[in-house]
Amino acid sequence: MPPHPPNLLTPPQTITPQTALLLSQKAPRILSSPPSGSSLPWPLSLLFSPENPSTWTIHENLLLSSLRTGDDASARKALDRLTTRFGADNERIVALRGIYEEAQAKTDKELEALFHRYEKLLRDDPTNFAVRKRRIAVLKSLGRTSDAITALTVLLENSPTDVEAWAEASELYASQGALSQAIFCMEEVLVLVPNAWSAHAQLGTLHYLQATSSSPPNISSLSTSLRYFSRALELNDSYLRGFYGLKLVSKSLIPLLSDSPTNTASSSSKRKDNKDKDRDAADDEDLPPPSLATVKKLEELATSRLGEIIRNYSSGRKGWTGYDEAEVIAARELLDRDGQVER
Amino acid sequence: MAQPVVQTIHRDPALFWWILLPITVVMILTGILRHYAMTLLQTTPKKQPLPILRQQRSLLRGISLRQNASVLSPSSFQSRKAYLVDAYKEGKFLADPEARGKPRPNPMSDPAAMEGMMGMMKGNMAMMVPQTLIMGWINAFFSGFVIMKLPFPLTPQFKSMLQSGVGTRDLDVRWVSSLSWYFLTLFGLQPVYNFILGSNNAANQVAQQMGQMNPGAGFMGPEQDPDKLFLNEAENLEVLQHWSVLDGVEERLVAKMAS
Repeated sequence: MPPHPPNLLTPPQTITPQTALLLSQKAPRILSSPPSGSSLPWPLSLLFSPENPSTWTIHENLLLSSLRTGDDASARKALDRLTTRFGADNERIVALRGIYEEAQAKTDKELEALFHRYEKLLRDDPTNFAVRKRRIAVLKSLGRTSDAITALTVLLENSPTDVEAWAEASELYASQGALSQAIFCMEEVLVLVPNAWSAHAQLGTLHYLQATSSSPPNISSLSTSLRYFSRALELNDSYLRGFYGLKLVSKSLIPLLSDSPTNTASSSSKRKDNKDKDRDAADDEDLPPPSLATVKKLEELATSRLGEIIRNYSSGRKGWTGYDEAEVIAARELLDRDGQVER
Repeated sequence: MAQPVVQTIHRDPALFWWILLPITVVMILTGILRHYAMTLLQTTPKKQPLPILRQQRSLLRGISLRQNASVLSPSSFQSRKAYLVDAYKEGKFLADPEARGKPRPNPMSDPAAMEGMMGMMKGNMAMMVPQTLIMGWINAFFSGFVIMKLPFPLTPQFKSMLQSGVGTRDLDVRWVSSLSWYFLTLFGLQPVYNFILGSNNAANQVAQQMGQMNPGAGFMGPEQDPDKLFLNEAENLEVLQHWSVLDGVEERLVAKMAS
């Protein structure tokens, strides 16, 4: 959780709806003063008005927040200011105007008109990745998911280090039920941002979905899922989603592990013995499933930590209130279903 | 021991108003002018065409795979490695596959490189011209004046720095000549510009020169053959010993949470 309340300089991706509302209410104050702080006459303004880069970040975030909360007039003003400063042809401004117009579009027809404009922009300048992403977003809002995926793969072919695009591709694939492709894309995200616990948890989720799509659930997918959730928790030990996933996965893994005779508690120690010997031979083999005892311990751990989070959240204790309410409710539901309420 | 005789020079107070102050003000104004001139002269960096971008980012992908291989499970790492090594060896991501194996063209004949050099020339001119003019102006009008006295003693080594243009051997080092004052302001006004123009200014030529020493010194400059870089990276990937951070993570987590 962020240590300070979000302001207009926080990256817009992490802002919750409530905060967006709060931020967009600051619009009148910001838009009533001139953008560059001082209002000296001309020759002096050249000397004494250093341009503040955060001014423009604030305007951009204000634009996005206003659009989210439906304050189109303020959004328009912020956009106009950005346009006067950076020119209408600036790559970023083109994308921002696109966002604004997408928000204004009432019908599919208008969106399609926008889509054609993006196409034209891209023909002129194929390296404008911001517009490329807007084009994909329009395809997505038109409901043409498979076209959006095709467009995304083209983007990723040309720019394979774009984390945002990989994550989006993973989400789109998952929405289409293509889980192994979704997993591949998420792994690419992980390669680029190796310490993102949310990406680890997302991978755990995808593996879990893949495992439970077959019946009986696939043990190796489940244990991979368990490991990703564990890694997410190793990176952030108060991550509610991680504990939730850990609990869910270990609960479905325990009966499977106790059924199969090969995966008893000895497997983990056996693995340690053979580790060095097998290293080269089994380099592309996946890791063996974890031992039953460990999974049981993890399950207990997840249960107790979830209980702790729920208790502290509902009593409103300081430092515990940053969780998303929906997630806490879901966690409570999970524990209730399990019949192990500790509140 | 006798104290060294303190030199006293009676300076006309007008020296301050008519030499020290004008030089300082002119230097500050030139810096500001240069900042705006540079902003106007600056050409926006030319956009890289898509194939070049693709080439760079594909290489970066391999590098990040090599650096962060441990987040992947063994099988997914092996499949990525196999794909990337093959593609690198075939030169799949090269912007210009035909130029493979040919020697690099002379940078002088490359129009893109010429453009970069033109930009550098422009920057140099914007610095050289005012510098020459002001130095000429100071030499013509103010050379030979001793304009101020530093409030602290210095060793004789500073004599050449502080008293250029005044050829007096016995003069105390603390006296500063007008030409030296010009040099001092030339090199020492950066904080003033930072204050006036913001920290991201183009007013100071010294910083400018530093920047221009190696303009393209970055990743994948024009002088490097991308094919070689790709082959190199393929080799790096091939010899990489993979380990997975997922190996035993559940036991680590249990141990961490238990403690």
